Amino acid sequence: MEHSTLDHLLLIILGFFVAFAPRYIPLLFFSTREIPEWFNGWMKYVPISLFTALVVKGIFISKTYTFITTGNLVLIIGAIVVILIAYFTRSMAMSVIVGLITVMLLSLVI
Amino acid sequence: MKQVTTEPRWKETFKVAWPLCLSYTPIGIACGILLHAAGFNSILAGLASVMIFSGGAQFLIAQMLTVNAPILTIILMLFFLELRYALLGSSLSKYLQGENHRFIFTFALSLNDENYAVNYLKFATDKNWSPKDALQVEHWSLLFWSVSNVIGSLIGSALKINLEVVDFALTALFIYMIVMQVRSRLSLIICIFSGALAAFCLIITKSTLGLVASTLIASFTGYAIERYLTKHKPNSGLLNDLGAAGTSGPVVEPLEKKDESDSIL
Repeated sequence: MEHSTLDHLLLIILGFFVAFAPRYIPLLFFSTREIPEWFNGWMKYVPISLFTALVVKGIFISKTYTFITTGNLVLIIGAIVVILIAYFTRSMAMSVIVGLITVMLLSLVI
Repeated sequence: MKQVTTEPRWKETFKVAWPLCLSYTPIGIACGILLHAAGFNSILAGLASVMIFSGGAQFLIAQMLTVNAPILTIILMLFFLELRYALLGSSLSKYLQGENHRFIFTFALSLNDENYAVNYLKFATDKNWSPKDALQVEHWSLLFWSVSNVIGSLIGSALKINLEVVDFALTALFIYMIVMQVRSRLSLIICIFSGALAAFCLIITKSTLGLVASTLIASFTGYAIERYLTKHKPNSGLLNDLGAAGTSGPVVEPLEKKDESDSIL
C-alpha cells in the first residue's frame, strides 16, 4: 500500500503533536516547580541509553529484527571512525561528514 | 578601538549558533534526500522540518515510509523517540523560570537535541546568556535545518544517490552525541550495557518498543548505580571523569588509580 500526499500531510501534523508535547509539557510544568532530584539523576543516563540503542539498531539489527553478523563490516568500521573523530575533534559536522565519506568509500571497496 | 557593547544581539547569538548551523547543513541535506526518496515533495519536506524539527524523527519517518509502515505505527515510534525531549526540556527549565507561557510555548516549539546542548552549555557558563538569546539560537538552527532539508529534497529529485550511505548520517549523528555524553567510567559502562540490552530487547519484542524498554532499563540502572556509589562508595573509580565533553581535546587520565572503599570504613 502506497501512501498518498494527504497521508504524508497527516503524518506531519500528527508528528508535530507527538514531537511537541514532550518538549512543551515538562518545560511548562517544571518552569514553576522544583525538579525532583531523582528525576535529574535519572535524566543524566537517558540520552546515552537511547542513542546507544539507536546506534545498535542501525548497525546490528535488520529490518526484520534479527541480529546482523555479516554484511555490516562497512558500518562497523564507519562507526569506529566516527567515534575517533568525535572524540578528538568534538565537532559534529566533522564526525558526520568523515563518517559518511568513510562509509561511501568503503562500500565501493568491500 | 572597536565599540564593545553595541553589537546587535542577533550577531552575538549567530556567533554561538553557527557551528551548529554548519553541521546541520549536511545532515539536513541528507535528511531531505531521504524524505524525497520516501515520497515527500519539497514543500512537505520543508513543512516536516519546521513542524517536527528533529533529525532523528525525520530520518525515522523516511525509513518507515520506504517500508510502507502504517501511519499510526510511525506516529507511535515518533512518540517514543521524542520522549527524550521531556528530559531535555525539564533540565533547561530552571533557566527559564519566570518566563511567561507564551515564551515557553515558543521555546518548546523549536527545542532540539543540538540547540539544547548549545544553550545548556551557555546557560551554565555565561551569566549574561538570556532566554531570549537561547530562543534566537534555536531559530538560527531551525532556519538552517529547514533550508537544508528543502535543498536536500531538491537534490534528491535531481540526482541518483546511494541511500544506504546517506542513512549512516543518522547513526553517525547519534554516535557523536554518545561520545559527547560519556563523561564517567560508569556512563561508559552504561553505554555498553545499553547497547547489548537494546539488541536483546529489539530481537525479543520484534518492534521498536524494544528501544523504549532498553532505554528505560539502562537509564534507571545507571541512576541506581550512581546513587548507590555516591552514597556508599563516594571514592569509587567508576565516578571518575573521563575528560569531560565540551573541553578541548581529551584529558589523559592517571592510570592505576585504585580506589577500594576501605578508606572510608
